[in-house]
Amino acid sequence: MSPAAEGAGKPSLAASPETAVRTEGLTKRFGRHHAVDGLDLTVPRGAVFGFLGPNGSGKTTTIRMLLGLVSPTAGRVEVLGEEMPARLMGVLPRVGALVEGPAFYPFLSGEANLHRLDTADLRAPVRTRGERVKSALERVGLEHAAHKRVHAYSLGMKQRLGLAAALLAPRELLVLDEPTNGLDPQGTREVRSLIRSLAQDGTTVFVSSHLLAEVEQICTHAAMLRTGKLVAQGTLDELRGAALPRVEVRTPDESQAAEVLRGLGLSPERSAPGTVVASSAANDGAPAPEEVVAALVGAGVRVRGFAAAAASLEERFVELTGEGFDVAQ
Amino acid sequence: MKRIWTRWLPAAAVPAVIAVGVLAAGAAAVSPPPPATPEQVLGLVASHAARQFSGTVEEKADLGLPSIPSQALAPATKSATLGSEAALLELLTTAHTARVYADGPTKLRVQVMDQLAERDAIRNGNDAWTFDSKTNEVTHTTLPAGTGSEPSPTAKAPVMTPDQLAQRFLAAAGPSTNVTLGQSAPVAGHSAYALVLTPKTSGTLVSSVQIAVEAQTGLPLSVDVYAKGQKDPAFHSAFTKLDLGAPDASVFAFTPPAGATVKQQPAPTPKASAGTMPKSPSTASPKASAGTTPKSPESAPSWDTVLVVPAAKVPAGLLDQPLVKQLATPVAGGRLLSSSLVNILITDDGRVLAGAVPASTLLAKAAQ
Amino acid sequence: MLLSSAPASARLFVSELSVLFRRWRTWTMLAALAAVPVLIGLAVRFSPKGPPSGRGPAFLDQITHNGLFAGVVGLVVCTPLFLPLTVGVVAGDTIAGEANLGTLRYLLAAPAGRVRLLVVKYLASAVFCVAAALAVVVGGTLTGAVLFPLGQATLLSGDTISPGEAFGRLLLMAGYVTVSLLGLSAIGLFASTMTNVPVGAMAATIVLAVVSQVLDALDQLDWLHPWLFSDHWLSVADLLREPIAWGSFGENTLLQLGYIALFGALAYGRFTTKDVLA
Ligand SMILES: Nc1ncnc2c1ncn2[C@@H]1O[C@H](COP(=O)(O)OP(=O)(O)OP(=O)(O)O)[C@@H](O)[C@H]1O
Ligand SMILES: [Mg+2]
Repeated sequence: MSPAAEGAGKPSLAASPETAVRTEGLTKRFGRHHAVDGLDLTVPRGAVFGFLGPNGSGKTTTIRMLLGLVSPTAGRVEVLGEEMPARLMGVLPRVGALVEGPAFYPFLSGEANLHRLDTADLRAPVRTRGERVKSALERVGLEHAAHKRVHAYSLGMKQRLGLAAALLAPRELLVLDEPTNGLDPQGTREVRSLIRSLAQDGTTVFVSSHLLAEVEQICTHAAMLRTGKLVAQGTLDELRGAALPRVEVRTPDESQAAEVLRGLGLSPERSAPGTVVASSAANDGAPAPEEVVAALVGAGVRVRGFAAAAASLEERFVELTGEGFDVAQ
Repeated sequence: MKRIWTRWLPAAAVPAVIAVGVLAAGAAAVSPPPPATPEQVLGLVASHAARQFSGTVEEKADLGLPSIPSQALAPATKSATLGSEAALLELLTTAHTARVYADGPTKLRVQVMDQLAERDAIRNGNDAWTFDSKTNEVTHTTLPAGTGSEPSPTAKAPVMTPDQLAQRFLAAAGPSTNVTLGQSAPVAGHSAYALVLTPKTSGTLVSSVQIAVEAQTGLPLSVDVYAKGQKDPAFHSAFTKLDLGAPDASVFAFTPPAGATVKQQPAPTPKASAGTMPKSPSTASPKASAGTTPKSPESAPSWDTVLVVPAAKVPAGLLDQPLVKQLATPVAGGRLLSSSLVNILITDDGRVLAGAVPASTLLAKAAQ
Repeated sequence: MLLSSAPASARLFVSELSVLFRRWRTWTMLAALAAVPVLIGLAVRFSPKGPPSGRGPAFLDQITHNGLFAGVVGLVVCTPLFLPLTVGVVAGDTIAGEANLGTLRYLLAAPAGRVRLLVVKYLASAVFCVAAALAVVVGGTLTGAVLFPLGQATLLSGDTISPGEAFGRLLLMAGYVTVSLLGLSAIGLFASTMTNVPVGAMAATIVLAVVSQVLDALDQLDWLHPWLFSDHWLSVADLLREPIAWGSFGENTLLQLGYIALFGALAYGRFTTKDVLA
């Protein structure tokens, strides 16, 4: 296709061992609708990369293009330093994936399903197959359901089996599309710690989610997607740091407190009866929380509660898009 | 990423390869026969004596008649009065494939390969057998020694080999016929001369008869009968496969299978062949199963001969047969079965007139 | 690369077969096919009058002489509809079934390789063709052995052969029927790459099998007949002639190879350029 020919002249996407995933102008059109639009992603090796976006923003479509399931309308993809999908057969054995929910043969047991998927991986050694299947099942806590047919699995069990499939072989990159979907709180915690331990072993994890809080807990890097376009990308601190700090004061003396806060260069607002919220107009020169409390007490404001909220990704997202975290139209 | 359209190249290439393969198979290289005169070719045909071959014959007719599959004719073939006529109709309206094995004048086996069925006619020395796999019926005839080798098409085996057919046409090709050589073309992979018989008279529906003659042995390989005003042959019979070696002797050995009904039939009394018309296959009824030797000059038929069967010899109630009713259109004085090559008139008084002539000739003759 | 991964490809093929034959549906279809000659045998054995001569399915009256003909009748009866039906289900399911389950994306991400997956899928459906024909033979042979004598068998040409040779001919017929179904399998494979709805691909394949046979029955289209994949289906009876008429076997094999090449190439074009969105 023509985009590939165009891209061939650009040296910028040369093999870069320090990046696990790199895309350049990645675009996918369905008819006239741009599902993914000019995406430039860079996922460093060893990162836990949160891929954020509301429903329908193009996360799964991007992941499909990373895995060579869908061919891009335009742009280029490089995974583990290799061009995709040209070098697909060499790259994918090193990549574990969970795409848009797990999928299995319902009439086969969990174990048989993993055996089949491992057989499909032409590089996977036969000798260690049984062993690897067993340890993958143990890793996701499914060893007791290994011989049960998948149609008798619960949603969470299927999700776990999907993760086990991604972990069948040692992987350099894990691409997980909404891995905690359908899991109970315990399962969610287990997945988080699983991802952390994998990351500690040096595996790069690319995890898509629409749950900002979840991403905040496990990721080192993140990118935000909206209607197929990238709105922000960077380390979590970079993304958070760009957000403005905020204080919340609970007091019966609302107007007095507001005056003090205004005097400190903040812009106060009454959010609920007895609660005043204020954020600084600028990032630099904002007063430290202890200074704010001292000033309030000094002015005789009866402080019943005080909180200095760290900037959240959600606020950052709202700031960047000027909108809520809704389904894209 | 490679250009995607290249993945469709195989899908485009396969039909092209198939087309080339089909064309190449059709244009098998066979060297043309050495030049010869029509007389030499006629001599070649007459000289070929030791008939030894095994092959496959395809036969089809395009007479403008509706196709009547043998199933539809099955009730008629069983009826005593219409048996041979129905067989004839099937011969003229349905395509056949048959395997033919021949070894000399007294060993012949014709296997008509119907779908999921077969009709066999076997001549082995003085024994003549027929077998029909559908009815599991066997007929057996012990022929007097020295009988000729030409079994006729019957309900059991409604096929004549190109060889048999050609012999009949050539035997009839007397002074009423122009014999020339046409563009030679190989048949069944054998180099062959193309004899063209053209009637001199204009009173017949036959425009020409083409006979392909094997260049070395003189064995007729195909017969095409062309009707006037029709591009495709009205009748076509040709070898599609031919091996000129002697077939295995076991081919001619026949023992009636267990459970089959075996009917003994008396040997046909050698009749003086009545004035049969030009040996067009349409008249190849059992009655007309004459030998291959040319008749005496006075009985030699011409292309426009009309065969008249007097009412006494016609099966009673022929006109009322559903088959006749269905196919024949009413005309003044009877019913006419009309085709591009042959017309048959069944008069109200019960006579049957047939010939490779226009319907008007039949009507005029009937009125005499 | 293709060569070095040959053992791995073979294992994928074995895995494919085990998935196919661990399905309840596959065995139901094979059992239904085996039941056809069983029913025919029972009907002939326990009908008050003997089998009608020259009526009903071809060779029906032969069953009482030689039980093996239950398998022959079964093959002939199953050829126009039941066999294409089951083959259409299996071939139509090959790719579309995986897409429908969602397993296709995981197989491709494994990575199984699209071409390899297509080849493995086709070979598995070819194995099913063998199994389907053998199911009829097995059902017919068992029924025949239990209900009827296994005596001399009469061929279409009127010649008689021993029971052993008759069984050999029956196996040859099963081989012929298998070959006959390979073109249809390729059509099913292509249909299967066109959709994510397996029932759609199955229906399209089966409908094509029926349409091909209808066209084959129309005399007006006789120029088309040699090109129809069902044209030689009933010539399976050529194996019951004496000597065996191998011509139709050869022509049928060539024709089916042509269909495999054409629809294999179409399936390749489609599947290797397709976006896997299921
Ligand atoms: N097969 C398809 N045909 C047409 N449009 C599609 C197709 N698949 C996805 N889309 C569109 O592409 C856009 C992105 O879809 P995608 O599945 O990538 O979103 P997502 O970010 O994964 O959403 P979710 O959080 O709900 O999983 C959506 O607008 C969707 O409607
Ligand atoms: Mg999604």
